[in-house]
Amino acid sequence: MAAALRGRAGALAFFAVAAAVPLAVRDQFFLDTLILILLWGALSAAWNVAGGYAGQVSLGHSAFFGIGAYSAALLSARYGQSPWIGMLIGMVLSVGAGLIIGYLSNRLRGPYFALSTIAFSQVLLIVASRWRGFTAGSEGIPVPFRPGFATLGLGHVAWAYLALALAALFYGIQVYLERSRVGYQLAGVREDEDAAEALGIPSRRLKVIAVTASAALTSVCGTLWAQYVGFVDPFYVFSVDLSIRFALNAIIGGLGTALGPWLGSILITALETYLRATFSGMKTGFAGIYLVIYGVALILVVRFVPEGLAGVAARLRARWTRAHA
Amino acid sequence: MDSARRLGPAQIGVLAQLGVSTVLLGGIYALIAVGLTLIFGIMRVVNFAHGEFLMLGMYLAFWAFSAYAVDPYVVLFVSIPIFFGVGLVTYALVMRGVIHASHNVQIFTTVGLSTALQNVALVLWTGDFRIVRPWHSSVVIRFADTAFNLSQVVAFLIAVALTVALFAFMKWTHTGRVMRATAQDGDAATLMGIDTDRVYRLTFAIGIAAVGAAGVLVAPLYAVYPTAGLQFVLLAYVVVVLGGLGDMVGAMLGSLIVAAVEVIGSYLFGVAWKEVLYFVLFIAVLAFRPAGLFGQRGAETLGA
Repeated sequence: MAAALRGRAGALAFFAVAAAVPLAVRDQFFLDTLILILLWGALSAAWNVAGGYAGQVSLGHSAFFGIGAYSAALLSARYGQSPWIGMLIGMVLSVGAGLIIGYLSNRLRGPYFALSTIAFSQVLLIVASRWRGFTAGSEGIPVPFRPGFATLGLGHVAWAYLALALAALFYGIQVYLERSRVGYQLAGVREDEDAAEALGIPSRRLKVIAVTASAALTSVCGTLWAQYVGFVDPFYVFSVDLSIRFALNAIIGGLGTALGPWLGSILITALETYLRATFSGMKTGFAGIYLVIYGVALILVVRFVPEGLAGVAARLRARWTRAHA
Repeated sequence: MDSARRLGPAQIGVLAQLGVSTVLLGGIYALIAVGLTLIFGIMRVVNFAHGEFLMLGMYLAFWAFSAYAVDPYVVLFVSIPIFFGVGLVTYALVMRGVIHASHNVQIFTTVGLSTALQNVALVLWTGDFRIVRPWHSSVVIRFADTAFNLSQVVAFLIAVALTVALFAFMKWTHTGRVMRATAQDGDAATLMGIDTDRVYRLTFAIGIAAVGAAGVLVAPLYAVYPTAGLQFVLLAYVVVVLGGLGDMVGAMLGSLIVAAVEVIGSYLFGVAWKEVLYFVLFIAVLAFRPAGLFGQRGAETLGA
């Protein structure tokens, strides 16, 4: 236990603060920001399982997000079923979709894999926005609000703890990937697939598993996000921009690190909230300004700080320990 | 396109119309895709921001037309040097530093560039759909049983002329040979005294000039908005993967295939579903022949 916690003081502090905030703060704006930080971080953590740990960089993860969002929204809006059932169905569908994408990942490396994932999410976008009879097409679906835990009609504080539980679970999954045999094998595949294969690591199977697991986790977040926000718009949930955002948080926070997704999420969500407050008068320009900053930040981070915030923090800690040793 | 459905019952006429529509569309797609495949073939970088330069070309045509009433075909002559310059600057600021980096770094660099450019356009020009309507976009040419829009025909002719010029440049000029040599083996080219940095810079500038010109050409045919590049670039990926990434002749054939799928698909199933067809085709090709229909097997897994 002690060994598992070593070097994780930052994560413990983060989760402790996240757990304390809803006790002290009742302001809906702050709680909303906290929930979004936790959810966006969890999404990036889900992406990180494939993109960071297995090195399968997807630019179409919004496909799984959308599957999760639609499964629960359609089930609760059309059949009055609990979104928890929708979450399970979304996971099953995403596992199916993840197996297809995972199979592709066996044959394709680098940009080819990214391209195929974009194409996949675009197919789902077109189906969701054109199949009017079932998905309500481009109008989107409002998610009915029914109070209660079974129907996910929760207040802000309950949502904050649900998002925190999700974040803690996903953090744990990533820590497992860092410390387990499977995790080391995945790192081997990521760094040099041919060498890993030569050592007898079943690289193909591992990549499929990583992509499929990542898909299922993304789908869970999609369900929760749709229930929290209360509306599913096909052009948002299946967009390339959304897929990029999952990757962005993970990269800025530190690709393939367990806390990185939330570090990135804090920075990006805070930036977005700040800019929203500052430029709220400019209706059309606003969205653009922070996305320009995202784009430029992405270029600068991959070039100059490829290890992300988590890497910078580790370097600073190492320097501090040396200075005080 | 739509005009196909409005034709009479004569099946021959329909087939002729579909055939000519395919060729017209394919020619334009080829110009978009050829820059992408050139950049990939020589620099080994997939430019995820390619569509954004197309969008900028469309905006250039829009503003020249609406502010100064300049016809897009006149703008074309200005656009080529402008976008060549834009390509040089982008290479120096963004691409140069990542040319030897890993695939993932390159992917996210161009993805970041794409996001930034899209939203610069959104901030500067809002998200409104803008339309360029010069006189030639409402002229219909009738030939035998077929009918075409004059803008489409001229765009096709210019696109083909530019693509052929690029082919000739690559094939017969000294610089073209140097570029092809770098594509084949960058290290060997360096040993032969070729300045690969200069080659990459030139390649990127030519690729951007080509897609910028394509943007100006399609402006009278499609609405202009900040994410207009996305639909075209997705299509260009399909074209380029079909033809084999980096293969210029393959890109031309790929353009015709994608255009045929689009034209015939929208005739049979309606415009709404045509994109599904070519994305499914795309995924199928990636799954079964990832090096492209005409490419060498195994090329897709090369690390370099």
